[in-house]
Amino acid sequence: MFGYVRPRRDLLAKDAFAAYHAAYCGLCHALGKHYGFRARFLVNYDMTFLALLRASARESCPVKHCWCPARVFGRKACSIDGQNDAVTAACTVILCYEKLRDNVRDESVLRALPYRLLCWLFRRAYRKASRRLPDFAALCVRQLSALHELEQQASPSIDATADAFARIVSACVGDLQDPALRRPMEQILYHTGRFLYLADALDDLQEDCRKDAYNPLRYRFSPSSGALSAADLDYLTQLTDSSVNLAGAALELLPLASNRQLLENMIFLGFPAVFSAVKSGKFQARELFWKKEIRKRTIQE
Amino acid sequence: MKDPYEVLGVSRTASDSEIKTAYRELVKKYHPDNYANNPLADLASEKMKEVNEAYDAITRTRGSQSGSYQNGSYQSSGYQSGGYQSGSYSYGGGNGGASYAQVRAYINANQLDAAESILNTAPNRDGEWYYLKGTIAYRRGWLDEARQHYQTACAMVPSNFEYQNALRTVQGGYTPYRQTNYQRSDMDEACNLCNALLCLNCLCGGCR
Repeated sequence: MFGYVRPRRDLLAKDAFAAYHAAYCGLCHALGKHYGFRARFLVNYDMTFLALLRASARESCPVKHCWCPARVFGRKACSIDGQNDAVTAACTVILCYEKLRDNVRDESVLRALPYRLLCWLFRRAYRKASRRLPDFAALCVRQLSALHELEQQASPSIDATADAFARIVSACVGDLQDPALRRPMEQILYHTGRFLYLADALDDLQEDCRKDAYNPLRYRFSPSSGALSAADLDYLTQLTDSSVNLAGAALELLPLASNRQLLENMIFLGFPAVFSAVKSGKFQARELFWKKEIRKRTIQE
Repeated sequence: MKDPYEVLGVSRTASDSEIKTAYRELVKKYHPDNYANNPLADLASEKMKEVNEAYDAITRTRGSQSGSYQNGSYQSSGYQSGGYQSGSYSYGGGNGGASYAQVRAYINANQLDAAESILNTAPNRDGEWYYLKGTIAYRRGWLDEARQHYQTACAMVPSNFEYQNALRTVQGGYTPYRQTNYQRSDMDEACNLCNALLCLNCLCGGCR
């Protein structure tokens, strides 16, 4: 996935950061448990947000110390949340597989070879996940083909293209029965999906202009030499801020029993921080950017 | 019914003023202004009702015990569960009595496709048409389109406060309650500036 949904770690309390870490490791553990060792490589920050959101209705998740393939000695704390973990892991596999397929479709034959290989490696995991969530898998295929069609038509609407993707993300909680939980979560995830799409479009704008590839921002704002004007960037920031507001208003309606600090941090602080990093071009060196944050935090501690 | 103390998030031993503070915080949080045109306005209204009932229940119990507490819960009169009051708008197209009031009713019921199909058959496009079109887009989460329609509506009828409020909301001018807690960085900077000025004052001999 993209990795744009992250907390501001420097403003997170130590126990909240530990909970975030446990959710990330818990998702990795669930992927390994349900879809084999290979699927562990699909763990990502965006789906950790989904795991945290789904777990927020429970007062606390049991934490188990599990073996970690990235660590030779010692074990890592993983939060275990039965049914929620299984659904989040299935969504992760389906979304990552669809993204790989999308890359195969977008790239030239030679450049698409690595993605084809990865698709082949994850085909069994995908089949199993789509058997578990058949409606979600079908919706992904439907929405991505709608998105592909919009790209073919060179649609200038950032709303229509972002909507096609955001609907997929909001469907990750479609299995929840209680509307008091499902509806606010759907709104949060819809605007998260919208944010992901717009941040990715802005991040790729220069490259897409160079390659003459489709990017909704190219047709909506007509940038000169791959860069948006200051006024257009301001406008785009206001659009993402409105998404943050709507996601935040939905979060207030959730009966949060846990993870409140983390979710608020990710929505109100993480989204704007990531978007301003993307705007300034720093997010391309994303690992560097976030590692700097962690180092700063470690020094403070 | 849920435990009223649990709804307000206070302990049973909390003082009257603590309960009142918790109640006011929750009223601010679920205030209809925070959910104007929001598809979740009905959930916010339910929460507000729950909070009011809990506060009334507590004040009633405590009032009967001490006989001194006045019941003063938030009066939600005039609050139409985040929806519109069907006005007398009508575009007078003469096609079967379809009107903007009907579109508003569909929007309130979250039937956005039905609302849009009526709008699309309207013979002329005035400020109200653009406002309603923007509201449908806003409810769908199509914020770019919503903003453009609201801007057109405001340009056509500059004196309409409803259109102006809608535009302000979509421009991010109105932030939800919680976010105000996350805008501390500016405040911190302001405090830092005050501290710096105080220190400077001390250093310059202002404290003699």
